[in-house]
This record gives sequence, C-alpha cells and structure tokens, in this order.
Amino acid sequence: MTTVRSTWLALAAVALAQTAVLADMVIDRVRLVATGREIVLAIIPVDPRDLLKGDYVRLSFEISRLPTGLLGGAPPPKADAPFYVTLEKKPDGSWSAVKITQRFPQDAGGDRVAVKGRLQLGSWSDSYVWPRYGIESYFVPQGHGLQLEALARDKKLAVLVAVDKAGEAAIKGLIVDGKLQYEEPLF
Amino acid sequence: MSWYRSKVERDLARWQSAGWVSEDGASAIRAEIAARKPVLSAAGVLAVLGAVLFGFAVVSFVAANWDEMSKLARLLLLMGALWGCYAGAGWLFVRGLPAFAHAAVLAGVAVFGASIMLVAQMYHMDGSSPAAVLLWALGALLAAGLVRSTPALAAAFVLLAVWSGWERGLSGTAHGVFLLPWATAAAVAAWLRWRPGLHLAALSLAAWIVPLGYLIRDRHGHWLVAAVGIAAALVAVAAAPQIDRHIRASRPVFAYAVAVAFAGLFIMQFLDDLVDPRTVELTLGRFIALAAVTLALLVAAMFWALHTDNRGALWIAYIAFAVEIFAIYVRMLGTLLNTSLFFLVAALIVSALAWAAYRLHQHQMAVASGARGAAA
Repeated sequence: MTTVRSTWLALAAVALAQTAVLADMVIDRVRLVATGREIVLAIIPVDPRDLLKGDYVRLSFEISRLPTGLLGGAPPPKADAPFYVTLEKKPDGSWSAVKITQRFPQDAGGDRVAVKGRLQLGSWSDSYVWPRYGIESYFVPQGHGLQLEALARDKKLAVLVAVDKAGEAAIKGLIVDGKLQYEEPLF
Repeated sequence: MSWYRSKVERDLARWQSAGWVSEDGASAIRAEIAARKPVLSAAGVLAVLGAVLFGFAVVSFVAANWDEMSKLARLLLLMGALWGCYAGAGWLFVRGLPAFAHAAVLAGVAVFGASIMLVAQMYHMDGSSPAAVLLWALGALLAAGLVRSTPALAAAFVLLAVWSGWERGLSGTAHGVFLLPWATAAAVAAWLRWRPGLHLAALSLAAWIVPLGYLIRDRHGHWLVAAVGIAAALVAVAAAPQIDRHIRASRPVFAYAVAVAFAGLFIMQFLDDLVDPRTVELTLGRFIALAAVTLALLVAAMFWALHTDNRGALWIAYIAFAVEIFAIYVRMLGTLLNTSLFFLVAALIVSALAWAAYRLHQHQMAVASGARGAAA
C-alpha cells in the first residue's frame, strides 16, 4: 500500500512543481505588464514563423540598432551578458537611446527609462550594436501574420511596452496610427 | 522470439547433439529464458510513441494560437491536461500497467513543455528560449527522479543537450553550467540502474565536450578535448575493476573516451586550420606527428578492445581508423605522396595489424586450451 501511496505522492509533487513553475512565469509577466512603466516604440515588422510557437511577427525597433558611441568608450558587452540601454522621452513622445551601460543607471526615472538588453554572438561591429530586449516577437493567431504585415505597410505601427524597475520589458499592446488598437488582456 | 532466444535455441540443439547438455538441462535453460521479462515490449514502445504523438498534438494546438479562447481558458485547458496525464499515470500504476503509466508521465512532461511555450506566446516573450528549454528539462528531470520514469529521463537528456547547444550558439562560450544538471541527470540514471540512460549521459557529455575546442582557447582548444578523451580512456583501463564494482561501465566509458579523443585529434589534423588559417599553422611535421599519434591511439584502442572483448570500442576504433586513413589520403592527394605510395603505406599498416591480431588470437587460444588442459 505504501508504494501505491508514494507513487501518488511523487506524481502529485511533479504536477504541483510544474504547475508552480508555470504559475510563477504567468505571475511574473502579469506583474511586469500591469505595473511596469509604459513606453512607446515605433516598429518595423517582418513575418517569420516559429516552429513551436506558431505565427509571430518579428519586431524591429529604432533602438534595435545603436551606435557604439553610446557606450561612452567602453568595450561592447559580451555576448548574452545583460546590459542597460537608457531611453529618454523626446518632446514628440517618442523614446530614443541616450547611453549604454553595463550596470543599471543611477539616473533612471522621470523622462529616462533603462531597458535590459543582450547581444547575440556577432551582433556588434565597430560602429553599431544590435541589442535584443525580449520584446521582438509579437504572436498572432494563425493566419493573421500577413494581415498585420499589411497594416504595417499602410499605417504607422508602434508597440506599447511595459518596463519594470529592473529594466525587464514586456509587450503590452499594439498602437496603430497613434491609437491603442490591441491591448493585451492580462489573462 | 528475441534474437538472444533464437541464438540460444540453435546453440542448445548443437550442444545437446554433442552430448554436453542433457535433455533436462536444455528444457530448464529454455524455461529460464522464457520466464525472463522482455526489455522492450511492443505495447510499451507503442505507448511511448503514443505519448510522443500526444505531445506533438498539444504543441501544435499551442502553435495554432487559437484566439477564440481567452488566455486563462487556454492555460486552464493545458493545466487540466497536465494534471490529467499525471493522474492517469497514477491510475495505470495502480492497475499494474507500468509501461502505460510511464508513457502517461512522458505525456505529462510534453504538456509541461507545451505550457511553457504557451505562456511565452501569450505574453510575447522572446529571447529567453534556451531558458525555457532548461525549465522544461528540469521539469522532465524532476519527473524522472520522483516517479522513476526512464522515458522522462531520456527526454531530460535530449532537452539539456538542446539547451546547452542553443546557449552556446547565442553566447559563444563554453557553457560549463551544463555540467550541473547533466551530472544530476546522470546520477538519476545510475540510481535507476538504467543502462540506456547511462549511454545517453555519455552521449550528451561527449556531444558537449567535442565542440568545446571551438569555444575555448581562442577557438583552438581541440588538444584539450583530445587530452580529456585520452585521460578518460586511460582511467577506464587502469581503474576498470574499481569502476565495474559499482556499475559495470568501464567498457562503454572506454569506447566513448576513444571516440572523444579521436574527434579532438581529427579536428586538429583536418579542420582546425579551416576555421581561420592565419591563427593556426599546421606544418607538415606537426601534421605527421598528429596523424602518427592518432593511428597509434586507435591501434592501441583496438588491441585493448579485443583483449577486453569490448565490441563497441572495437567498432569505434575500426571506423575511426578508416576515417583517419581516408582523410589523410584526401589531404595528401596530389601534394606529397602519390596515390600508389599512400595505398602501399596504408596496406602495410593494415597487414601488420592483421598479423598482430592473428598472433593475439593464437595466444588467446593457447591460453584457453592450456587452462582447459589444467582443468582436465
């Protein structure tokens, strides 16, 4: 009888642990999207497809290519190591990068927001770096990728991004011609 | 009927007619073999295949990103599937159907992975995919350890290898962190006494070590890979009794170690200078020295494999020898030796080997007959 019980216990422990991991992922994202500072980034989409995750639009931003001058003379960050890009709000409401630092900048807040980025292997040159912020994929229902692509051709697209205090970023919604079109439901 | 059974059946008929095995003895042997549990049953294999297909169904359900359903509903559906798989596994264990139960556990692990992907998709998460694979691997490892599930352990090894390869691709570093979950998974395989799991452990470790040469020492660390392989082979030879006392693994360890050492030496001889010819100068002397070391190592490995009846290592050494000779031939073609001279050298080496093998065989026969004489 004990073996039967221990089997059930082991299975329950596995199911509980795996559920906890998934719940933690969801809660973390919900917290980020709900409480993070909102910024708007203009996008240029392309349309590949993720084998495992389905249709998605690959987003590229102005801040996806930064001049190495923003490093202030420091060497480019190592591949896959986190660094911080400080964005500053312009009078027209857009955000643009003002500096790249290895550590979280002291002067974040107000008109400045720091976003955590990483470089992939080989995504830097003498004059530019191409960071990724974890907000480059926008998943759409199957078959809707082309629709969004057409939208991007005719209209000005931007994403509403939430950034938390640690510089973690998440997509919160899609902005078409300055109007919030899709707001991502939290659940 | 299994391969082993039909072989014993043939041998028994011969031994019986020679009068070495009595009628009673033969039927006792047959009964003992018939009572053995088969390692792989058709039902078990099909159940695991079914679980894998179920996993694919769930993953493609996620990939379809069905927008008719809210995020919460999709998540609850997958949670239901997850708990359903493990509950089903428990029910099947209680019913005394462990093969199906393990398939259900594997399906649960697949649903767990699909759920990770779904969450990533729902919140447009990007750039963290290797981390997601690691999470999945750890979930599989947990199931393997707690439920003693060998299919989940196999999945964990595969996922760990994918995770490490992906991380290496992104960062270009050695990614030593891999060894931590790998060692845990290998310990689980040893604890479950699951030999295929130990092979998976060795395979995934070898697959991690061999590319290491490109990631350390400014992309020219292949000598270190070869050294690790040779060292492991020497340990497997020198400490064979100590290793085998715990778990009979010295022979496979030797075979994998020879494969790793050969891979490192092969890259040094034939591929290293292709990466960036300016940073490596492969002089002719160095090349010949490396080739000589490689051939000597392979011949030594063959002898040791013959001596210890290690078929796996013997095959690896044979194949490596053929690959090495062919690669030398291609490299030397039109540059140094002409074709006929090359074949002459190769023929001399192989003939010498054949002669040595023949002498060794004769020596073994003599020892065997001497022992028989002493016994009689």
